[in-house]
Amino acid sequence: MIEDFATVYAAEIARRIRSRPFIFGLVIGVLGITLLTRLPTMMGDAFSGSSTIVLLGDPSLTARAKPLLEKEYTVAQVLPDQPVDETLLKRDHAGAAFVLGRAKDGLHVVVYARDPGSMGQRAIARALLPLQLEITLNRSAAEVGTISRIPVTVQPLASKFTSANQAAAVRGIAYTLIFFLYLLILLNSQLVMSSVAEEKTSRIAELLVASVNPTALLTGKILSSATLGLLQLAAWIATATFLGGNGIASDRGTTTGIFSFASALEVITPLMVVAFLVYFLVGFLQLATLFAAAASLINRTEDLGSITMPLVLPVVAAFFIAIATLGAPDTPLSVACSYIPVLSPFVMFARIAVSNVPVWQIALSLAINLAALYLIALFAGKVYRVGMLLYGRAPSLKQIWSVLAS
Amino acid sequence: MLVVNHVRKDFGSVRAVSDVHFSIDDATTFGLLGPNGAGKTTTMRMILGILVPDAGSVTWNGAAIHDESRRHFGYLPEERGIYGKMKVREQIAYFAKLHRLREPEVSKRVDSWIERLGLNVYADRPCAELSKGNQQKVQVACASVHGPQLLVLDEPFSGLDPVNAEILIGVLGELKANGTTLILSSHQMWQLEELCERFCIIAGGSNRVEGTLAQLRSAWPTRVVRVGFAGTEESSEYTVPADTDFAAMLREFVAKGPVTKFEALEPSLHEIYLRAIGENAA
Repeated sequence: MIEDFATVYAAEIARRIRSRPFIFGLVIGVLGITLLTRLPTMMGDAFSGSSTIVLLGDPSLTARAKPLLEKEYTVAQVLPDQPVDETLLKRDHAGAAFVLGRAKDGLHVVVYARDPGSMGQRAIARALLPLQLEITLNRSAAEVGTISRIPVTVQPLASKFTSANQAAAVRGIAYTLIFFLYLLILLNSQLVMSSVAEEKTSRIAELLVASVNPTALLTGKILSSATLGLLQLAAWIATATFLGGNGIASDRGTTTGIFSFASALEVITPLMVVAFLVYFLVGFLQLATLFAAAASLINRTEDLGSITMPLVLPVVAAFFIAIATLGAPDTPLSVACSYIPVLSPFVMFARIAVSNVPVWQIALSLAINLAALYLIALFAGKVYRVGMLLYGRAPSLKQIWSVLAS
Repeated sequence: MLVVNHVRKDFGSVRAVSDVHFSIDDATTFGLLGPNGAGKTTTMRMILGILVPDAGSVTWNGAAIHDESRRHFGYLPEERGIYGKMKVREQIAYFAKLHRLREPEVSKRVDSWIERLGLNVYADRPCAELSKGNQQKVQVACASVHGPQLLVLDEPFSGLDPVNAEILIGVLGELKANGTTLILSSHQMWQLEELCERFCIIAGGSNRVEGTLAQLRSAWPTRVVRVGFAGTEESSEYTVPADTDFAAMLREFVAKGPVTKFEALEPSLHEIYLRAIGENAA
């Protein structure tokens, strides 16, 4: 079995490394990274944190501040002054808590934000200026200059970031890595699918399963594709490092709220690296196995699209949910999706990248995914064994089921 | 020795094989015959361990078919398959490696098969560029490169021109001489009649008749007697019971007049086949 696997693995690597889809994927990835590093402003919107806030402080101030802030933010709740903690934000899925108080020069604002980088101090001060003027009406003209500068202090809360630059950098790299994940998982799963479809439609499948254990055949295909995926990843990372190191990316250390690739590379944590590799492997193995099973049921390559479309759609959805998760990692949707197989490799990785996900949640997500992978492998393995020998009209679900049950 | 012991195989509610049984001695050429849908391919797949019988068993040298015994099998399916972009030499080498051959033995055998099948000119060309007949020869090489103990060939002559068919017959003869047991399935009866020592005709998923050609003929109930008389160009044919005393019959004809020809014809495999599957239809 191991020897069969090794033979298939080596042959698949040799065959596919020269194939157009692999080279195409490699080049597309490199071009994509170049585009990402050169046009970081395109991604600015994706990096903004949640615009939902909780307003706290003197009721006479918060009541008047609420309509002013609602032009910029969604005010989920107005509360009297009280200690601000993570629970308070989680309850309303808010990104920040604004605490209003009176100081010597009028209004004083402390912002406790999950993502300090997404809180523009000037914008907050501008929004609250009418209230400042209202409560400092009796000041002298000489004091007006001081009054118009409302002190806004932004402090991180329930966030893994210590500065706005870091937050933007991590979001930038997380976005890029999710893009990598998407490309790697989808492209390489499609390579496996094409390979199975080629063997099925060229009728060589029967000769193969007569010569080698189908499990070894399928495993060799999938793991060779995983290896090529990691090779692609290495090439992409090398490109990103090269471009970042040569200052092609946006300016290092700016506070534009857009990530700098060079600084972003410095904020990648070991957890992010491990999570990326683990979720790539889990996501790829799940999808590639399902794709292989689906491809084993077709008789013509023209049928590939229709049979794999239902499998591609969840991956596309997962990509967009993961991008949204970068801005709001603790919404019920993000948390729920981080446990759902096929979706979670993208969504849980996004959460890990931009927030402090409890260890038990990561462990639970992995356990669910590995269990799902086991079930998918059992199911897909049987479909593959049977599907590779089925020719003629495409089998109906009922026929497939009856064959699987036999 | 291969023993197929009353195997049955169902696919959902469809019974592909209900009761097929035969045994084949080593280095024997065996013909497995039957109409389309008779269960030949399913039976072959069970022999090769691709499918597991729902009832009955298949044994090779006294043991059930397992991955290790499959290493010594070769298979040429009815539906030919080939990696179009792979070069001829690479393709044959790949199948050699799948059967656990290692360098330098792989290269040696690949060269030998390319030479034997006259594929030298095409050795480094992608298989898709070859004619159908040459592609089929590549597949024969893929199925045989490891020197199988059991080689199963489903319609091996379809698509081959007479020259290539002769080459294949020669190859099969060499394999048999080297101790390979051959199972052939074909609708070209005359070729099977020449090549095979034993036959099994199946229809509707079960055995109809099984044995050597002589045994099958001895079970045939009638014989055709062809008689030629002096003065006439055409012969007359008489269908008589198989246990007829042909000497007495000849004496009777001679007594009537000069006889120029008298022959009792054995049934051909084709006739035996048609009768066997006809019985099934009835």
